[in-house]
Parts: sequence; structure tokens; C-alpha cells
Amino acid sequence: MEQEHNYSHNNFEECKKCTICTVYCPVTPVNPDYPGPKQAGPDGERYRLKKPYFYDEALKYCLNCKRCEVACPSNVKIGDIIMSARIKYAEGRPSLRDTMLGNTDFMGTVATAMAPIVNYTLGLKPVKKIMDATLRIDSHRQFPKYASQRFDTWYRRNAAEKQRQFKKQVAYFHGCYVNYNYPQLGKDLITVLNAAGYGVQLLEKEKCCGVAKISNRCVKEATRDAEINVASIRKAAIDGRMPVVTTSSTCTFTMRDEYPHILGIDTDDIRDSIMLATRFLYDLVDRGEVKLAFRKDYHEKIAYHVPCHMQKLGWTIYSTSLLRMIPGLEWIPLHQSCCGIAGTYGFKKENYNYSQEIGAGLFADIETKDPDLVATDCETCKWQIEMSTSKHCDNPISIIARALDIEETRRLNGVEPE
Amino acid sequence: MKFDTIIIGGGLAGLLAGIRLLENGKKVAIVSAGQSALHFCSGSFELLGRLGGKFVERPFEAIDSLPAAHPLKKMGRERAEEYTRQFIDLMKRAGIELHGDPERNSWRLSPVGLIKPSWLTLPDHLTFTNPHTLPFGSAAIINVYGYIDFYPQFIAAGLSKRGVKSVISTYDTPGIAHLRKSSTEMRSSTIARVLNDEDLEEIADQLNEKSRDCEVILTPAVFGLYSEEPLRQLRDLCDRPLWMVPTIPANVPGVRTQLMLRERFQRLGGEYLLGDTALRGDFRNGRLKRIYTYNLGEMPLEADTFVMASGSFFSNGIRANMEKIYEPVLGLDVSLHGGRTQWYDKDFYAPQPYEKCGVTTDDALHPSLLGKPVENIYAVGSLLAEADSLSEMSGAGVTMVTSLHAASEILGNN
Amino acid sequence: MLVYRINRRYISMKDTTKKVYDVIVIGGGATGAGTARDCSMRGLKTLLVERFDFTAGATGRNHGLLHSGARYAVTDPESAAECIKENIILKRIARHCVEETGGLFVTLPEDDLEYQARFVEACGNAGIHTDILDPAEAVRMEPAVNKNIIGAVKVPDGSIDPFRLTVANVIAARENGADIITYHEVIGFVKEGNRVTGVKLRSQKTGEISYQYARVVISACGIWGKHVGELAGVTVNMYPAKGALLIFGHRVNNMVINRCRKPADADILVPGDTICLIGTTSTHIPYDQIDHMEVTPEEVDVLIREGVKLSPALAYTRILRAYAGVRPLVASDDDPTGRSISRGIVCLDHASRDGVEGFITITGGKLMTYRLMAQWATDLACKKLGVDRPCLTAEVPLPGSEAETDVEKGRANVIGLSTEQKAAEGRHGTLSALIPNEKEYDDALVCECEQVSVGEVKYAINNLHVHNMINLRRRTRVGMGTCQGELCACRAAGLLNRAENCASRSLHDLANFMNERWKGMYPVAWGDTMVETQFTSWLYEGVLGLDSGDGHHEELPLGPVNAMEEADEEEPQPAQF
Repeated sequence: MEQEHNYSHNNFEECKKCTICTVYCPVTPVNPDYPGPKQAGPDGERYRLKKPYFYDEALKYCLNCKRCEVACPSNVKIGDIIMSARIKYAEGRPSLRDTMLGNTDFMGTVATAMAPIVNYTLGLKPVKKIMDATLRIDSHRQFPKYASQRFDTWYRRNAAEKQRQFKKQVAYFHGCYVNYNYPQLGKDLITVLNAAGYGVQLLEKEKCCGVAKISNRCVKEATRDAEINVASIRKAAIDGRMPVVTTSSTCTFTMRDEYPHILGIDTDDIRDSIMLATRFLYDLVDRGEVKLAFRKDYHEKIAYHVPCHMQKLGWTIYSTSLLRMIPGLEWIPLHQSCCGIAGTYGFKKENYNYSQEIGAGLFADIETKDPDLVATDCETCKWQIEMSTSKHCDNPISIIARALDIEETRRLNGVEPE
Repeated sequence: MKFDTIIIGGGLAGLLAGIRLLENGKKVAIVSAGQSALHFCSGSFELLGRLGGKFVERPFEAIDSLPAAHPLKKMGRERAEEYTRQFIDLMKRAGIELHGDPERNSWRLSPVGLIKPSWLTLPDHLTFTNPHTLPFGSAAIINVYGYIDFYPQFIAAGLSKRGVKSVISTYDTPGIAHLRKSSTEMRSSTIARVLNDEDLEEIADQLNEKSRDCEVILTPAVFGLYSEEPLRQLRDLCDRPLWMVPTIPANVPGVRTQLMLRERFQRLGGEYLLGDTALRGDFRNGRLKRIYTYNLGEMPLEADTFVMASGSFFSNGIRANMEKIYEPVLGLDVSLHGGRTQWYDKDFYAPQPYEKCGVTTDDALHPSLLGKPVENIYAVGSLLAEADSLSEMSGAGVTMVTSLHAASEILGNN
Repeated sequence: MLVYRINRRYISMKDTTKKVYDVIVIGGGATGAGTARDCSMRGLKTLLVERFDFTAGATGRNHGLLHSGARYAVTDPESAAECIKENIILKRIARHCVEETGGLFVTLPEDDLEYQARFVEACGNAGIHTDILDPAEAVRMEPAVNKNIIGAVKVPDGSIDPFRLTVANVIAARENGADIITYHEVIGFVKEGNRVTGVKLRSQKTGEISYQYARVVISACGIWGKHVGELAGVTVNMYPAKGALLIFGHRVNNMVINRCRKPADADILVPGDTICLIGTTSTHIPYDQIDHMEVTPEEVDVLIREGVKLSPALAYTRILRAYAGVRPLVASDDDPTGRSISRGIVCLDHASRDGVEGFITITGGKLMTYRLMAQWATDLACKKLGVDRPCLTAEVPLPGSEAETDVEKGRANVIGLSTEQKAAEGRHGTLSALIPNEKEYDDALVCECEQVSVGEVKYAINNLHVHNMINLRRRTRVGMGTCQGELCACRAAGLLNRAENCASRSLHDLANFMNERWKGMYPVAWGDTMVETQFTSWLYEGVLGLDSGDGHHEELPLGPVNAMEEADEEEPQPAQF
């Protein structure tokens, strides 16, 4: 007999209207124009299937944080439903601003080439005012600084050769942030993995993961980039038998889940090969294949902020477990909540205030608990927290790199001293 | 990844067992596929409210007259009393004060002004010992302006039946006025989040003003999503006793209980894997070795003991297809057999056979797989067969007693 | 913007006891409402009486298919020709009740493709336009159809909402001066010699007996016409054939999908509003069962098995509920399937047939021909009354259908209508302008699945003869969506209570409503439906404390306050459960 289940493959139908998702949506308490995850997602989808004119433009206020999905007891992909609806039904092409914000790698390429000028200019009040007025990019928003040398350039010139000497290798998807804004994180990863006995290779070709393009509805471009990334990852993971590690929860989440769910790109064969470096490293330590030694003189009070996409990945446990292996680290628990930036969302003038309101609870929690440093696996969370609190923010890999007794770790893992 | 105990299910059952184990030094992880049914808790925890359709006055005593297969009967009255003490203390350590006499059931006011038996109750909600009268003669029923999940007229009718006069009014705040623009999101939990940042004094002024000629204030339970603090403050500011009426679908005090227990669990060092789904397990020599989850993929979770606290149909602890009812993660034996016409009664309000459906266990709560008990798994909570939490009003009781028992057994066995 | 004035509420029984109507129409289905409309439009002083609520019988329990007539073209050319004529008329006069989806007649690999040629020819003879499509083209037009089809014909099928249609007819009758009484059952006739001069009514709420008088009484009671005929002393042999259907959670298809073969079980899949439905089966049932219909597990199995052949997606689409209606066929032979009987219209003048003056039965037919049936009955009534006025029901649009709505004009998003406003325009057409929104929370959603706002509920309560939750559901779709009332029933009960101002009655009504929802759910209680049910029970029994429905789920009217006092209360002992 068919219909064995009455469990719908139309995922939105699995919604039992329990409203649990609405308890955890960060947007609804601050922005009443947003219809909330239940209405924007499964309820609206049913109507959109009836007639496309039931599409509601207010779906653009969704952060795509996926907190609704994490909370849903019925496994409804609420965030995916909303994002897919925006792509399918929203009228008109994405605006110039949205296209600019979406094209993080193009903007990054231009900006790093002229980093000092760009950083200076983007920091200028008049420029910010003009961007606010013409592009509707909020003038209060601080732009991330661009690096003067791209990470991939640095790697080719300074690291590539040495990395080849390791017997064991991983491939590294560095993402736009490491490449254009903060190459130091990539360098930290190399330090840590080298000490663990692994060389780090770059992918043959890397494009932006596409998260910003997807959320700004530049789907064609996102798909084109995704296909290039998937081909490179396939080459590394399947032909080269290397796990592909990352240092951004959002890039990781996008490639593993948004590619198949939103862009319709099949990633079944490589999905399990794409992982955060903390997961990769934790697993090695857990299985006793790698030993880490930490510096006796490292002392820091660290609070870990769980990025929304990290929560969705379900991999917080790896980053926090690794960090908590550091003897000199004092652990400060934070209330888990969204920081409000959601990638490019918080840059937009219409969202800026909401973005800050959403994050307000987190910022207050951080200030009250007063850690030395906030750790997080997402670069945009880092920008938001650094802009909105007095604290500096770092990726767990950078913290580990600082806390690691490099020489001792190399010795424990049988790596020749430098 | 290796733990002492892995718990599947992060609701009341999983958290109670988890906290108890952590408090005794165990390394514990909880895998929770989404948020739990505690969100819909009426605010009262019931041990055994009804038996054979009749109100139970002394719930511990009534355990004796349950059928042998009932989980509470399996546990026995003495254990139920012991675990109740543990439960109250454990909740207190998590910051949740329960009120009520565990020896005796009392009554609570439902969101539509009906009354139901209650046992231990969250501090928000009113309970009373005599179903025919209330401990006050007049009440101000004050709704949040524009909130449609609160039914003042129904409550007033319920009060009036018990000789209580009431006046109905509303209060408002700038934040609520802002939220009211939304046609969908004037929900209890969203209101609670908005009120979190509002001026409680201003709210208290309105409540005081509008209850001037009344003895008590009744208002929807929309205070304190994250802690009891806003409720406490508001009560301090009010001139007369303030009671919260629970709401549906989500009841804020229930959500808060979930969040506070989870926070306690995490503060004790427990790993709470929210939004992850246990997919399958590996058995070796009749013992469960490890489980695999959706998010963790190829990296399984290993443990010495496992607690199945995965709930009933709502939480997907058991599932039904057109042909059979089954336990989806490990394929444990379930109690209800026969075709789908055997699963229900045609009267919605009659005891439903499916409510009693669940995983079968031996007397030590080990569930069976193909007829053989698995010694290192404990099944607890609403996943268990033979209890009808709805018609017996025994949901929280079964959950509390069995999960704390599983924790005890695990601690005793090591 | 057009503004309409609607008479408020129903008549008071006390005011009308002495009045003599020209016509009393018995039966609040589409035919009765249509007849009341036609009579009143021709200037007859008209009363419509219904024993429960509008659409409580077969009108509310069918496919909601706007037949092109193609289904009958081969086997019943007369019905086919009637259907296509009415199809065109309804698209004109009832635009807010119909959706021109188009329909496909598909041939599956196991079906005989030769039937298609006969079918197309027969359609041509009946005046039904057909396009023979390449199967691949048909799949492109309707991606939900079985990809293995070997033939497809496009016909002008559509969907029609029988609830809306009936209420629009009621409103039209009312606007033309007709009086409307619901929840009053005809339990006898007033006769002078062999002439029927009135009806004896019993109030379902109070049990009170009253009388209404008229020069002509028209029985438009569908299958129940047999019983009503008996009360008047005439014999109308009805043939009750039960048809079961399944409602799926959303629109799988956007065109009607029919099987191109001789009519058989489960061969039509209709998209209706937010859902789609597969049907039907056909089973003879004894006449005494017509008020107690249940869908059997075997019927569910057949519907799924056959439905999946039309659209494989049904195998993994959530089923919301199962229900069954009774075809009002007039028996002519002993065909055990009930299918070879013509669904043609039967209009009986009992004066010439049985020697009973002043009494007409209109029955047979189908939803599609309700207007024509009304016309025949009214023509006969006019003849009896000596009135010579033309029938205008085919030309004058129904209330709500007078003009294009903003949604139809494609302006919904331009002028920024909210989702619930768009949905309400779909449900009420131009009458949606009457939905109040003066209070801030009038826009708040009561039913989130079906996008029904507080304002729409208020509008229905004030204007559309709503006495209880089931009435409200039929007028607005409250509780008809995915969760089947879990989220909205309580809210709606709260609002109804504000209007009725009797808490115990409203709570009893709520308890009853949930039981009525369950009746359609238990035949499909597995999978998601099982989960939804458990959740709903937790909320309504566990949290709210409702604990007693009533055996007579479907149509128990709201009783007097005191009668309900015990039912909603948990007493210490002996407790009710």
C-alpha cells in the first residue's frame, strides 16, 4: 500500500502549528512587520502554492538564522522554506546595494588591492553618509577592515611549499573573510594543524560560499560559484582524499546545507567531507591520534558566542570542547541568542536598528560578564560584537594557536621541530 | 565522542535524568530533536490526578491501585515519594520553586475558566483546595490589550460559578502597542519577550488602578520567559495578589521551566545538542554501544548507558504509519498492536488507546528489543507504554519518577 | 469601493407567526438557497427554513468540482449538456465562488486509450470544448499528474466552493426580502384538506414548536426529501448512495485531474481553495444511515490507492481528513452501484402526481445544476401562484461577485493587501469590504492555517447566520486547515462567546467542534495526523480541561444555558469523563 506514512515529503506540511518556532525567532519581538517564522514559512507556503500572489514582501526581514528550524520539534525546514520563497516569488532584480553586499569576493578583490584607501574611505563620515543616502547602507555600521595582502597570495608566496612536506594533508576552504579581511586566521589554522602533523592545501579554485548572494537573492551567481566550489571540493575530498576544513561556521553551513536545500545542488558525496577545523581537530584528539599541549603562561577569561548557523550545524560542542581543553582558559557561559547582524542583513539601513535591538541582550550579557575575549566561529558575529561591545572577538582556532605550546605539540605528534 | 550517559530527548524527562547524573559527577550529553512538549505545560505538574474517571485526592496512595504494567505501579509508592522529594529539590536548585502539597492534589484554573486537578505547580499559577470556592471573593481579570489567546469571559464565568465577582479590563504598554501591528505575532512568548524590556512599574500602576475594588489580579501568563525575576518584581509592585492564567499554545511558565532546566544542565557541564536527531544505534552483545545523529554524521556518540526520553507521538518518540506503530531510532518494542482502527476511540474525549502506546520495559525500565531487555538502556517519560497521561493526568508524574529512577539506577550500578 | 448593506441576523420567530408567505422553501443546501433566491427575485414573499445549518447536507460534502459536464458526456449526455451550460453561467454569476482551473481527463497505461475518442466525440455533442493534448504537454501544464499517462484531454472543469455559493444565494434571497430560519426542523405540515398550507417547526435549540404558513411549500431537501415527502403524505423514493472523499493538506494539483474512463471509484482529484480532494467511492447505504455516515478503512484504502495513480504525489502528502456525503438520487431501478442512474433533475408537482396541492419537491440533480433546479421549482411555484415574472438568476451576479476584486485585478500586492485580506477577498469577493478593521486587533489572525482574521470572524458572526463554531467554519474556513482547529478553535470560541455571552454554551460548542473535527481525522489517524491529534488533545483536554463532547457531533445546536452546566465542569466526584 502506498501512503504508508502520511508523513509528508512536502516538509512544510509536517508543521503541527505548535508555534514553538515563534518562541525563538529573534526578529518578531523587534519588528512587527515581519510575520514570524510560522506564518512566513509553512503557513504562507501553503497559500503560495495556491497562488503566488500570496507572497509577502515582508519575508525579507527574515534573518535566515535558522533558529526556528533548530527549535522545531517536527523537523520543518522553516528557514529554507522562507528563503526559497524569497528567491522564487520576490519581484524585481536585487538592488545595486544588495548585489554589492552579496558579491563579497568581488568587492574583496577590489578592496584588498587598495586596502589602505578603502579602509580609510569607508571609515569617513561623509562617505558613510553618502552610502547611507544612496545605497541605504546604514551609516552607523562599521565596515570590516580590508587586509593589504590576500590570504591566498600570502599562502602561495610563503607557505605553499612548506605545506607540501607534510605526509598528512587537509584542504582548506578559507572563505572571503580570511582572504580579504583577516588572513591571520588562516595563518593560525596552518600553525595549529602543522603542529598536529597536518599540511594545509588550498582548493584548486575557491569562490565565495555564496551565503551573501543567496540572502540577497543573487541566485544565478551563487549557483555558478557553488558549482565551482563543489567541483574543487570534490577534487580534494574524493580524488585527493583530504577532508576539507573551514574556519567559518556560515561558509560551512552554506556549503553543506544551503547548496542542496536552496540552490538544488547535490552535495551528497562530499557533504560529510566539509567540516569546521574545530570538528576535524576535536575528532583527532578524541580518537587519540593527535595530542595538544598548551602553554603554562596562557590565561584568559573566554566567553563563547554560538553563531546561529553554528547552532544549526550542531557543532558547537567541537569548538567549545576544544577550547575547554586549554588549562589556562576560564570559561564564561553566555546566554545563547542571535547577535542580530545575520551577514549582510545588518548593513542595510532598513534593518540596522532591528539588528542592534536583536543583539542588545547578547551585548549586555557580554558586558556584564566581562570576559577578556569573546570566542566565536563566525566572522560577521565577530564584527557585530566588536562594533557593539567593548570586547575583542576571535575565532577558536586563533585562540588555540595562541594557547598552544607549539614545540611540545609538534613533539607529541612526531612533527620535526622547525 | 564518549560520555558516561547519553540521553535521547531534551524535555522534562531527559533534563531531570541528565541533571541528576551531572550532579553526581557523570559526563552526560542530551540529543534533542527540537524543543520539547514542556512548552505546552499547563504550569502544573501532575502525579496522578484521575483514576477511573474520578478525582484522586491522595496521589501516592492511588498508585497502589494502578494496574501492574503501569510505570508508576512498577516503580511503587515508596519510590514515587522518594523521587518526589528529589524532584522538588532538583527543581529548586535549578531556580524553580514549586508550590503545592505533594500528599494531596488540589485544583487549578484552566485558561477557559474550568478547573482541573493539580499537584505541584509553578509559582505563577493559582491553586486551591476546594473546587467549589476560591480563596477570594472578587478578582480583576486584566488582559493584555489586543491579545486573543486569553479568554476573560470564560474565566469570569468559571469564577462566578464559585461565587467570585470579577471585572474585566486590559492593560497596555508602548512595546505591546508596537507589537500589535503584527497580525500574527501577538503570542504569549513574544509578548513576554517584549515585556522583558518594558517598565514594570508602569504595568503595575495599571494593574493596581484597574483592580482597585478587587482582592486579586488575574492576568495572562506573559511574564518571565527566561527567569522568574520579572514575575517576582511585578508581584512586589502590585497592591494585591497577582496570579497568572496559563495560555495556549505556548505557556510562558512552561517555556521558562524548559529554559531554566536546560541552563542548569549546561552549567553543570552537560552537552545539550539542540536541534539534532538521533538516527540509529549500534548494538554489541545485546548492549547499545553508540548512536549516530544527523548533525554529527560519521562521528558517533558513545556511552556506557543510554536513556531514551524521546517522548510520545508529538516528539516523534514513537511514530505511526498506516500499518504499525514503531519506535524510530532503535526499533524498540512497542505495546500497541493490531490495525489502525484499534488505535483510537471515536469520541475525542474518551481515553484514547494510542495515548497508552509506547515502549515496553521490564520492571527496571529496560526497554526490550525483539522481546529481550537491553540492559544498558532505560526508557523513561511519556515514551513508556501503559500510562495514559491525559486521562490519568499522570504525565509529569510518570516522567519525574521514571527519569529519576533511571538516574538512580545508573548511579547505583557504577 | 462598492459598499453593500446586509440585513442583520435572522428573523425573530415571534414577529412572524401570523405571516403568510407565498413560498416556504425547506432545505438550506445550494438548491434550497438557490430556490429562495429565485423566488424572492421574482417578487415572492419567501421563507427559507433549514433544520441545522446551511450546507449541512450533501452540499457541504462533495468534491466542490465545477463540472464541465465532460464526466457525464459518454454515459449521460443530458446531464453533460446541463452541466456545461451551468458551468458558463456560474463563472459569470458566482466568480468569487469558482476558480477556473481547467481540467484534464487522463488515460493511464492500464486504461483503454480508445475510450478517449468516444469521450471527445461525446463532449463535442454536449457542447463541451476539448483539447487533446500530448501527454508530455499535459505534464507540463499540471506537473502533479502521473508522468506515465498515455493520453490527456483538456476540458473547462474548475472548482467551486459550495459553502460560499450557498451563503451567497442566502444573502441574495435576504436582500430581496426573504426571511431565513436555521436550526428549525420541519416535523409536520399544516394541511387544509389536500392542500399544504404551512409547516410545523421544532426549534433545535429550545424544542419549541411553531408554525409558518405559505401558499406553496417547496421541499429542496436532497436525500432528506424522502422523509419530508412522507410528512406531507407523498412518496418520493430516494436512493442513498454514499460517496467518500479524502482531503489532502495542500494543493498538490492546480488543475482538476480526472480519469478518462467510465466513472469509477476515486477518479477525480480537485484543487479546492488551499487543499485538494480525491473522490469518490460509491456505496449503497440504507436510508436510515443517511445521518450517520462514517468513512471506513476500506474506503480510505481505495481512495489512496486509486488517487496515487492519478497523482503519485498523494502518496507522500499529508491527509487532513476523510468525509462522506450522500448523493440524492431518485431511485428508478435496482442498480447496485448507483452510477447508472441519471443524476438528472427531478421536479415533482405533487398536485398532479399525488393529489397534494401546494407542495413541490425538487431533488436529484447535482451541485452544478442547483440554479437550474431552483429555476424549475420556482417556475412551478410561480405557475401555481399565478405569477408571471422571468427568471433572472442566470444574469444577475451573486452578492460578492458583482465586480472583480483587487486580487482578481492583480492589484493585491500593489495596494499592499495583507495575506489575510487577500484570503478574505477570495472567500467573500466584494463583500470583503464589509469586514471590519476599526479595532487594532481586527487584523489579528484567528485561524492561521486559513488566514482568517478577527474582523472576518466578526463579519461572519454579524452577517452570515453564525450560531456556533461549525457555522463559523463553513462561512470562513476557520478550523479547516492543516491543524484542524488546534490553534484557532479556542480563539474563535472566545470571539463567539463575546457575541453570544454565554460561557458554558460556548465551551460546550467548542468541545463539540473538536469532536466534529476528530470525526474526520480518525479514519486517517496515523503519521502527521496522529501527531496533530495528540497535540490537540493535550491542549484541549490537558490544558484547557475540556472533557466532554457529545455523541451527536455534527449538528448539535447550542442548547439553553442550564442544560449545559454539568457538561463542562470537572466535579470532584463522581467525575465525568
